[in-house]
Amino acid sequence: MTKILYSDDLTACFSAWRKEGTKVLGPVQQAKTSGFGEVQDAKELDLDLVLTDRTLKELFFPRTEPMLSYSIGKQQIDTSEFLPSEHPCIIFGARPCDAAGMAIDDELFNWDYRDEYWFRRRDRSVIMTIACKESDDFCMCTSLGLAPDSAKGSDILLRPLTSGKGWQVEELTPKGSKALLPIASLLKEGTEEAAPTAEVPVLFDLEACTTWLANPENFESHFWKEISERCIGCGTCTYLCPTCHCFDIQDEGDTYEGIRRKNWDSCSFQLFTMHTSGHNPRNTQSARWRQRIMHKFNYFSDKFSVHSCTGCGRCTRECPVDMGVRETLQAISTLPK
Amino acid sequence: MKIAAKRDEAPGVKTLRLEFQNPADQEKFAETYRTGMFGLYGIYGEGESTFCVASPETRNDYVECTFRQSGRVTTALAAAEEGDLITFRGPYGNRFPIEEFHGKNLLFIAGGIALPPTRSVIWSCLDQRDKFGKITIVYGARTVADLVYKQEIDEWAEREDVELVLTVDPGGESPDWKHHVGFVPTILEEAAPAPGNCVAVLCGPPIMIKFTLASLKKLGFEEANVYTTLENRMKCGVGKCGRCNVGSVYVCKEGPVFTAEDVSAMPASDL
Repeated sequence: MTKILYSDDLTACFSAWRKEGTKVLGPVQQAKTSGFGEVQDAKELDLDLVLTDRTLKELFFPRTEPMLSYSIGKQQIDTSEFLPSEHPCIIFGARPCDAAGMAIDDELFNWDYRDEYWFRRRDRSVIMTIACKESDDFCMCTSLGLAPDSAKGSDILLRPLTSGKGWQVEELTPKGSKALLPIASLLKEGTEEAAPTAEVPVLFDLEACTTWLANPENFESHFWKEISERCIGCGTCTYLCPTCHCFDIQDEGDTYEGIRRKNWDSCSFQLFTMHTSGHNPRNTQSARWRQRIMHKFNYFSDKFSVHSCTGCGRCTRECPVDMGVRETLQAISTLPK
Repeated sequence: MKIAAKRDEAPGVKTLRLEFQNPADQEKFAETYRTGMFGLYGIYGEGESTFCVASPETRNDYVECTFRQSGRVTTALAAAEEGDLITFRGPYGNRFPIEEFHGKNLLFIAGGIALPPTRSVIWSCLDQRDKFGKITIVYGARTVADLVYKQEIDEWAEREDVELVLTVDPGGESPDWKHHVGFVPTILEEAAPAPGNCVAVLCGPPIMIKFTLASLKKLGFEEANVYTTLENRMKCGVGKCGRCNVGSVYVCKEGPVFTAEDVSAMPASDL
């Protein structure tokens, strides 16, 4: 017997959570793109999407967020810090690749200095992930050692029933189990089978890629120029990546009062590393693309023993010039080591 | 922090001496600051800039920074006046392990606006002079006017326990210039300091570091005995924002001080 949550009871679940003061978010269509937004009713959810356009990371690391406000007097500077609220929330219907990405980002934000902006939001959130029944041509979780039903980063894993009428409920963390308490009466015991997960083909040999990347001689390879020749440096791949985490800090306001903000930034941009003197360590688009790939599959892995990619495929799916991690790693895996 | 004093060093280059407003902050700084570390200096509404702490660890009741006015933040800092308040985050990063230099000869090499980080180490050592052997300072700038800390240079020149080698780039000399004319690597090779029992501290723009490292190698210095700093663009200073890293090294956490050996292990074209 397994716990089953039926789709028909979903709106009742949302009400039960809300009654406890918990916000419910899920995959929804927002203006021209899909992403995670607050929902009242299950009808608002778009659970047929293979993957939302935008990632889960926005919920923990928004595109822009205030860090502090300041006001400057003659002999005094007053500041007050903005810290995210600890208001509990449930994220219903994440995908395994996105959830895994959050666990990878935890490593960075907890390294050496614990980033309160990230962890306040992480700690208050419960991620309920739905295993994938379907995939598209860009999905590559299996190439990255994950699967359409990976549990990494999730608090609860939901496996869609064959009937399509609900999900088997798998509790993964104490936080997840606690979140189920208010909806205990809505969970049924059942024996209904879960539908098979999507078949995602392995697109490249990851080990062959990381071996090639780890060879210092290949750092200067002409390959980098060739593969990134058509990159226009728009930064879309980094903004839509669940594990890209680079940011900028900017002040908005004047010399009397204003706000200091943390904004997404991207290693694709020339200004990202440009020194005041004009010297730029990563002065060409190919050097910047090499940095992105090396960071994900060599530097990050070196430091945190995990690659900074979950194979969600968004970088390739949304790239305006049809490049991305997929093309690059596919090409690398065929190169002589 | 309050600007206690402001000094012009060279055209466009200024030094600010800052004092903590809060005694607890001062105490914490004195406890944690070691030569080589850096800070983020800022003015709300403009932003923050990263410079080394130019004052030595042996004089830790204030913070000095020296910068060239060139962007938005440095323009605002240059316009700030004595008595004004600016922000300081730090000290961040690693340090020069000067206790490992005890008993050794020291060779300081600096180019242009990179004298400030070197000067922090120089005074940290001169303030406990008896712990070190021979001290040589090689300093070069583009022109005579571009030399910073002129008063301190005079002080070093007068000391018998310091050998000072000054140079300016060809064409940068003034009619009354009595020192060398030539690029730092060339002048360094001419001065030919002995590599035995000697530690070299090298700070300068990337191009000067590149050529001076080659000169030091020629002179017989081992990479492990040559220290330098990497001064990459930074925003957070705490290993998160992702722009200062070279390979898997976060300059803000594992640097800014590295040995030439560390630098050799980094991808050269990303420096």
